Amino acid sequence: MDLTVKRYIVAALSFLFLVSLLLVAYQESRRLRVERKLEPVVTALNKGCVDCHRTDSPALVMEWEHSQHAAYGVGCVDCHSANQGEVDAWLHEGEYVSALVTPLDCANCHEKEYREFSQSHHAKAGEILASLDNVLAEKAAGMPGNNADSVNGCWQCHGSIIRFERDEDGKTITSGKENRPVIDSDTWPNSGIGRLNPDGSKGSCHACHSRHAFEAKLSRSPENCGKCHMGPDHPQIEIYNESKHGIAFYANRDRMALDTQGDWVLGRDYSAAPTCATCHISSYMTPNGQYTANSHDVGERISWTLRPVISTLLNSVIYQDGFKEDYPHTRELPEIGDTIETIEKVVENEELVSRTVPRQVARIVTWEERRQVMKGACLNCHSDTYVDNFYQQFDDLVILYNEKFARPAKAIMDDLLADGVLNPNAPFEHHVQWVYFELWHHEGRRARHGASMMGPDYTHWHGMYEVSKHFYQEFLPAVVEVARTKGAAMGRKYEQRVEELLAQEEHQWVKGLSDQEAEELRQMYQQRYNE
Amino acid sequence: MADFQEQQTPQAGFFQRVSELIPFDWELIRHASAEPVPYHIKKWWFCLGGTVLYLFVIQVATGIALTFYYVPSPDQAYESVAQITQDVRFGWYIRSLHKWAANCMIVAMFLHMLRVYFTGAYRHPRQLNWCIGFLLLGITLTFGFTGYSLVYEQLSFWGATVGANLAEAVPLIGPTIAYFLRGGPEVGENTLTRFYVLHIGLLPTLAFGLVFLHILLIRLHGVTELEFEGKEVPEKERHFRFWPDHATTELLIGVLLMYLLTIMALVFPAGLGEPANPTQTPEHIKPEWYFYFNFRLLKLTSLRVSVVFTMALGGICFLWPFIEQWLSRKFKVPDRVWVMLGVLAFLGFLVLTVWESFVQ
Amino acid sequence: MEIRGLGMDLKGKSSRRDWLAAVAMGVGLAVSYGVFALEGLLFLLPRQIKVRTRNLFAGKISQIQVGGVRQLFDLEGNAILLRRKAEREFQAFSSTCPHLGCKVHWEEEEQRYFCPCHRGVFDSDGVAVSGPPADGGQNLTQIPLEVDEDAGVVYIEVKDATRRRS
Repeated sequence: MDLTVKRYIVAALSFLFLVSLLLVAYQESRRLRVERKLEPVVTALNKGCVDCHRTDSPALVMEWEHSQHAAYGVGCVDCHSANQGEVDAWLHEGEYVSALVTPLDCANCHEKEYREFSQSHHAKAGEILASLDNVLAEKAAGMPGNNADSVNGCWQCHGSIIRFERDEDGKTITSGKENRPVIDSDTWPNSGIGRLNPDGSKGSCHACHSRHAFEAKLSRSPENCGKCHMGPDHPQIEIYNESKHGIAFYANRDRMALDTQGDWVLGRDYSAAPTCATCHISSYMTPNGQYTANSHDVGERISWTLRPVISTLLNSVIYQDGFKEDYPHTRELPEIGDTIETIEKVVENEELVSRTVPRQVARIVTWEERRQVMKGACLNCHSDTYVDNFYQQFDDLVILYNEKFARPAKAIMDDLLADGVLNPNAPFEHHVQWVYFELWHHEGRRARHGASMMGPDYTHWHGMYEVSKHFYQEFLPAVVEVARTKGAAMGRKYEQRVEELLAQEEHQWVKGLSDQEAEELRQMYQQRYNE
Repeated sequence: MADFQEQQTPQAGFFQRVSELIPFDWELIRHASAEPVPYHIKKWWFCLGGTVLYLFVIQVATGIALTFYYVPSPDQAYESVAQITQDVRFGWYIRSLHKWAANCMIVAMFLHMLRVYFTGAYRHPRQLNWCIGFLLLGITLTFGFTGYSLVYEQLSFWGATVGANLAEAVPLIGPTIAYFLRGGPEVGENTLTRFYVLHIGLLPTLAFGLVFLHILLIRLHGVTELEFEGKEVPEKERHFRFWPDHATTELLIGVLLMYLLTIMALVFPAGLGEPANPTQTPEHIKPEWYFYFNFRLLKLTSLRVSVVFTMALGGICFLWPFIEQWLSRKFKVPDRVWVMLGVLAFLGFLVLTVWESFVQ
Repeated sequence: MEIRGLGMDLKGKSSRRDWLAAVAMGVGLAVSYGVFALEGLLFLLPRQIKVRTRNLFAGKISQIQVGGVRQLFDLEGNAILLRRKAEREFQAFSSTCPHLGCKVHWEEEEQRYFCPCHRGVFDSDGVAVSGPPADGGQNLTQIPLEVDEDAGVVYIEVKDATRRRS
C-alpha cells in the first residue's frame, strides 16, 4: 500500500476516533443529566416490617419498592400506623398497626385529593344500601344468613361498611397472640370505592390507586375505571372501547406518557387520546397557556345525571364545610347564605343512618358551568362548534329517551301503585316491575351513556332499540296483565290507557306506516334482498 | 542489511549533543530501527504482534488511571469500582476501555500465536522467542484472571475461589501455590491484596521484561524472511522501510484499535453485577471466556485429570519448537502433518470454548 | 540513518500530495489523541463529581408542632434533627457535632442545641455560641429542606448513598 494512501487512511481513522470520543463526551454529559430511577429507601422505622415481610409476602414488598413512596422513604408504618384504642388497631411487633388504610390516612400527605374525593359521588358509592339494586342482591339473589351476592358483587365495587365481630356485649372479638380484632369477613377484604370506614371516612383510595406500587399509569388507564364502570347497567368501558377515543388510546398507548410524574396534562404531556381520567379528573391545557388543576371530585364536570328513571341536568350546591349536593335543574336552588337542613348518611354503630345537618350555602355551580369545565378538555382537540353540536346531539338523545319512554312509563307505574295494583312493599313481585326496572336501569342507561361518550352501537342497538322493543313488546302488555290481576275492570282501565298512549303521534307507527313509507320499505327490500 | 546514510539535518545536530551527555552507542539503536522490513510484513496478519503490544500499552495506561480510584480492600473494592463506573468523569469509559482492551489483547495474542505457528517462525534458531511468547501468554491470562477478581462482584469472588481450587489440584506443589495465591487456607482479605499486587506490580514487571526480551530477540535474529511458493518477488520489492512506512502501519492499527475499543465502550460498557457475598454461592459460576476450554475439560473429566492434562499440554506447547525439531529429525515428518496438528489443536480449543459458552 | 522525515521525496514530483497526507495524518492523530488525553485528564481530576442527592420524606407538617423537634436518618445512617421553628419555618441540622463528632441534642428549656462531650452550645439556628465549637467557629451543618405546603409534607435533601446495579 502506498504510503500516502496509508497516511490518508490514518487521518480518516483519526477522524472516526475523534467522532467516537465526542460520542463518549456526549454520553458522559447525558449521564449526569438523566434522572434515574431511585433505589427504594427503607428507613429505620420500616426496616423491621420489611425484613420480615420480605419473606412472608415477597411480592408485596417488591411492589412497594417499585413505588414512589419507597423512593421517598415512605413505608409500612407511615401508612399502617394506628392509635391505641382504635377499633381496628392492634399491637404488632412493637407498633400499633391496622390492616385498614383509609382515605383519612392517605390525607396525611394527600390532603387536597382527600378533600376533593370525599365530596364526590365516588365517596358516596357505598350509600346505595336502600336502593332497588340492593334489594335485588340481598333479597332476590341472597338469602337470610347468606348475602354473598352483595358481598362479592355489589359491595366489591360500591364498598362495604367495615364491621367487626363482636360478642353479646358489643365488644370486639380478638384472636391470636397479638389480640388482633376480628373483622367481619363479609365486609373485608373490600376496596370498594365508597367503602365506609371505622374512622368515619368514606371511600378507598386504593380502589383506583392499586397498592402497593400505587402506579400512576395504572390509575390513568381506562381499564382501571372499567372494573366497576361496566356491565348492562352502565357500560362506560365498553362504550369507551367502541368509541374513537378508545380506539385512539389503544393504538397509541405508548404515546400517552402514562408514567408522567406529577401533573399529567392533556395538550402538554400527551395528545393521542383522552382516557376516563382525562375528561373526568385530570388536567388539560387552556387557551391562556396554563393548565387546569386536576380534581378527584369526578362529578365536577358532569351536567346530566343519567342514573335515574328520568334524567335531569345537575346544579351543584356547595356548603361552607365543603359538603356538596346535586340539585336537579327542576328543583329550586337556594340562595347563597341560606341555611339548609341537609341530609347526610353516616355510619353509626356499624350501620348506615341518615342524619340531618344544618349547613350554610357557600357556592352554587350551575349545570352550564359544570359543562364548561368538561368542554375545556374537549376543546384541546375539537373546535367549539364541534363540541357544542355534540352536546346538542347528546342532549337530544336524553330528551328523546325522557319524553318518549321514561316519562310515560313512569306515569303508568305511579298510577299502578296509586290504584293499588302494585304493592309498594313488593318491588319485584310482578313481571312488569322487572321489565320497568330494566327499561330505565339497564337499556335506558345504556342508551344515554352511549350518547354521552360517542358509542353509537350502545346508543342504538344496545340502547334505544332495546328500550323501544321492551317498551312495546314487554312493558305495555305486562301493564295490562298486572292490572288484570286486580280484576277485569282494572284490566280494562289499563287497556284503555295503553290504547290512548299508542294513539299519540310518536306511537302511531306501530299500527301502520303511511302508504308511501310502506311502499318505499317494500321496494328497498326487493332491491337489496330480492324478496 | 541495508546501508545507511548520514544526513546533516537539525535533528542530527541535536542528537549529537545528547549523545555527548549519554555516551551510549546510539548508532546501534538507529541501526536497529532502520532495519528494512521484509515485504511479506505488508500482509496484515503480521501486524498481530504489534497489536498485542499496543493493547498492552493501553492496558497499562488505563490501568494506572484506574488505580487512582480503586481501593483493594474487600469492603471498599466493589464500591470503588461502582464509584468509577457511575461517579467519576469518564470513569465508565476508562473502565470499559480497560475491559475491552483486555479481551482484544487475549484474542490478538491467540491469533498472533496461530500466525507464528503456521508460518513456522518458531523454528531454529528462534525457539527461545516462542518460549518467551508462551510465557507472555500465561502472564496475560493471569492478568485477566486477577484483574477480573479485583472488581469483587459475585463472579469475581467465586471465580477466584474456583481458580485457587484448581491450582490446588496441581500435583505436589498445588496446595502451596493455592495457599500462596489465596494468602491463606480460604479466599479472604489477603487474597484480594495478593491479586492486586500481582495485577499491578509483579505481572507488569515480568511482562515488561519479557516483552523487551521478545522484541530484542526479533531484532537480533532479524525478521524471518519467508519464501512463498509460486510468487516471484523482484529484488527491489523484497524489503521496505521501517520508517515511515511500517511505522505508519503501526499508527494505523493503533488508531483503528482506539476507534474500535471506544465503540465497544459506548455500545457495551462494563457493567456491575451483584457485590461479592462469601456466604452465598451463585447458581452458575463461570470463568472468563478464555478459560472456557479448560472449564469444559474440567466438567468432562475430573479436577485432577483436567489439571494434569492442562499442565502437560502447557508443557508441550512451551517446549514445542524443541519437540517438533526432535520429532522431525527422528521420523522425517512432512510439514503438512504439523499444519494438520495445529489445525486440530485450534479446532479442539474452539470446540471446547464454544461448547462451554452454550452450557449453563 | 534514513531520515525520510515528512515524506520529502527526492523526486519532488508528488511531494505536495505526500506532504498534505502527512499533515492530515499528523493533525488527525494529534487532535484525536489530544481529546483522548483530555478525557483522561478529566478522569483523573475528581473535583467536580456531582454529589447526587435525593429527597426523603421527613414528616407530615400536621404532625410536627411548632417548636417541636424530631430525629430522622439520612441514607448513610447519620442522625438529623428536624425542628419546626415557626408556623411555616422548618430547619434541619446534622446532629453530628462539628467539634469532634459527638451527638448533639435539642434542649427545649434552654432553646438551644447542646453537645454533652465538651459542652458545646449552639443557638436555635445552629450557630455555635460557646464551647469548643464556638472557639473554632464551627456551626451545625444545615441540611437542605423542601416543604410542600399543598401536600403538607416536609422533605430533607440527603446524599444518595444507594448504588444502582447496572
